[in-house]
Amino acid sequence: MVRFRPAACVLLVASLAFLPGVGQAQPAAGGPALTAQVTSEPPGLDLTATPASATATVVFYNVQEALAKVDQHGKLVPWLAERWHTADNLHYTFFLKKGVRFHNGRAFTADDVKFVLERARNPETKHPHPRHYEAIAAIHVKDEHTVTISLKKPNAMFLYNLARQGSVIYPREAVEQLKSQPVGTGPFTLARWDRGDRIVLKKNPDYHVKDLPRLEQVTFRFIPDPNAALAALQAGDIDVLGFGLGPESADVVRRSPSLQLILGETTNDVILALNSSKKPYSDVRIRRAITHAINKDEIVKGAMFGFGRVLGSNVDPLNPYFVDMSRAVPYNPDRAKQLLAEAGYPNGIDAVLRVAPQYPYTVRTGEVIVGQLARAGVRVKLEQIEWGQWLDRVYKNADYDMTIIGHAEAWDAGNYANPKYYFRYDSPRFQEVYAQSETTLDDARRRALYHELQKVMAEEAPVVWLYVYPRIVAAKKGVQGIWKDLPTPSMDLSEVSWAK
Amino acid sequence: MRRYLARRLVALVATLLVVSVLVFVVVRVIPGDPVLIIMGTEGSPEAAAALRKAMGLDRPLPVQYAEWVRRALRGDLGRSIQYDVPVGGLILSRLRVTLPLTLLAALFMAAVALPLGMHAATHHRRLGDYLAMVASQLGIAIPSFWAGLLLMLLFAVRLGWVRAGGFEGWEAGLWPGVRSLLLPALALGLIQAAILTRTTRSAVLEVFHAEHVRTARAKGLSEPVVAWKHVFRNALITIVTIAGLQLGQLLAGSIVLENVFYLPGLGRLALGAISARDLPVVQGVVLFVAATIVTVNFAVDLLYGFLDPRIRYD
Repeated sequence: MVRFRPAACVLLVASLAFLPGVGQAQPAAGGPALTAQVTSEPPGLDLTATPASATATVVFYNVQEALAKVDQHGKLVPWLAERWHTADNLHYTFFLKKGVRFHNGRAFTADDVKFVLERARNPETKHPHPRHYEAIAAIHVKDEHTVTISLKKPNAMFLYNLARQGSVIYPREAVEQLKSQPVGTGPFTLARWDRGDRIVLKKNPDYHVKDLPRLEQVTFRFIPDPNAALAALQAGDIDVLGFGLGPESADVVRRSPSLQLILGETTNDVILALNSSKKPYSDVRIRRAITHAINKDEIVKGAMFGFGRVLGSNVDPLNPYFVDMSRAVPYNPDRAKQLLAEAGYPNGIDAVLRVAPQYPYTVRTGEVIVGQLARAGVRVKLEQIEWGQWLDRVYKNADYDMTIIGHAEAWDAGNYANPKYYFRYDSPRFQEVYAQSETTLDDARRRALYHELQKVMAEEAPVVWLYVYPRIVAAKKGVQGIWKDLPTPSMDLSEVSWAK
Repeated sequence: MRRYLARRLVALVATLLVVSVLVFVVVRVIPGDPVLIIMGTEGSPEAAAALRKAMGLDRPLPVQYAEWVRRALRGDLGRSIQYDVPVGGLILSRLRVTLPLTLLAALFMAAVALPLGMHAATHHRRLGDYLAMVASQLGIAIPSFWAGLLLMLLFAVRLGWVRAGGFEGWEAGLWPGVRSLLLPALALGLIQAAILTRTTRSAVLEVFHAEHVRTARAKGLSEPVVAWKHVFRNALITIVTIAGLQLGQLLAGSIVLENVFYLPGLGRLALGAISARDLPVVQGVVLFVAATIVTVNFAVDLLYGFLDPRIRYD
């Protein structure tokens, strides 16, 4: 008989394959570099054409900036506008920062501001949020560095809207290239976009903030699988795991001597939405019963490994008008059963809970909720659908009973005032308070209105606010300057550096 | 032979035509609006309508299909919605990763399965056979993504011999490129190697009992000559048939592993395009993969004639 030695062959091939001398991540020639993981690749780089947070993560603050900026504490600060002034809350004069240049070398002027805002307002340009600029009546350029914006009526969100990702300032001549080669005033310029693999940014040597940025080069790598991302960090291929580190892996990072864990808040409210246009969820008693039946602390413990903050209304803790409403409708399964009976369902109800496994936390949270609701007599079937289907069926056509999703946009109480939004929540009382808050500029009055809003929301329970998705960042030790909280979807790397 | 070739060519074109209609209809029928996916949960309906019009998605389906086929025939597969670059170029650039990955995996598959299967057959019901069967059972049972993660943890995280994932590009040279594909190719080839090991073993065993083998032995031929020349060659028809089908499976399996190892290949392009409803890319990739598989099957058919001179194509 012939003797083959397959084991020897395999060993030989393997030893050839893994010849030593494989390098670890190398810093870019000429200065400190950083490689960060992001979960998904941007669907285009034009912030004025897509509301995707994947685009904002990379481009917003790093490549392009706006007149004002929401800083890492959630505070609105002047940015490309040095300061602004208004006497009547109708006419705002912006004094632009001098000496600011676009990446193409041209100076930033008031004409650019006028062009950008008028283009955003024009529905034909396909800006995802023309409503953010609806309040504007006219834009008047006074001189190169002064521009006055007149409003149709006072608008409390006006300045905040100018700091949003869709309000970035770019040079008029670069409109056509925004999708793949955005030009702005930011600390970094776009060097390369290798589709499907990475985006590389290079330091902008003429950045208008002195001594920034501190890094010479930044690479964003698209790594969707959380386990692969963690392995890449442990192997030293990437320096920062910015998004997508599951709470289940936080402990691994914490115990590692070469890694650091950064925990903070986000504006991402995870909710259990109920379809208010559908029976029996149109009945507030049913919605309150479901809220009473849910033990949010248990969800944070069971689905999020204890990370995340229990939430009670749509206003997130990074919002200055936040009030803790998490105990307004407390966990009380007996009260839930009683409310169900009062509403005519003494034997409970049957429901389908649709979640998109693209966001693993929605599935885990759903599994906990199914168990909790069963105890109160709400029999829930968990149905997992693909994200594209979720957008079509749940979000666009409101074809659902219950769903779980995170809403990352800050200041989005307007969604609850919009009866066409997929919650189909139509409350004249809420809409009235919201409308008042939109035109009230006095801070104390506005705060009172926002408190009122949160009270109405908790009482009418259009959705069950579960928890704020935690910010969990893992980074190599030595990386410093990463934002702890995430009040905007950007991953601002301008102040990030390596410890000496 | 010529008539056979012509017949196969017609079948190939017909297959591609059917595939093109299928993929075109399927990506449009499944729930999920590309416009909605681009705009996300925050876009306004007006902006969505404007974008739908700009993308030409408001036109009737047959018109869209005719336009697509007309362009495809001229080699223009359209522009990617997500990337804003031509689909043809995108597919070609991704082949730089997927083709070598699939080839490496196929090489690994053949290098392991053929000797191991042969060894098992020649050591039928002995320790070597049992070990080979246990190993192949394990190989079939381990899902490729999990095997990928385990390999990553061992070779990249624990030992630090290779990078955990990503592709360094061919610009850096042949070795860095091959190196970044080693672990994924191993994980990708594992299941297929296990399947092919079992196929090889049973095919070889079957031939071992054939009469011509007894005759060969009776002639006094040495055992290696009997095994390779009279047994292996005759078993090859079965092995090549299965291996040909496995090439298609390797191509499909690359979708999973390119995601685990974040390689910018065709599989990852396809997956991303499906979730982003990047219709031109999905159509282009499916058409390309279908054409490749049909061509590989064709090549396998031609190989039969080479392996077994009794087979004629008239």
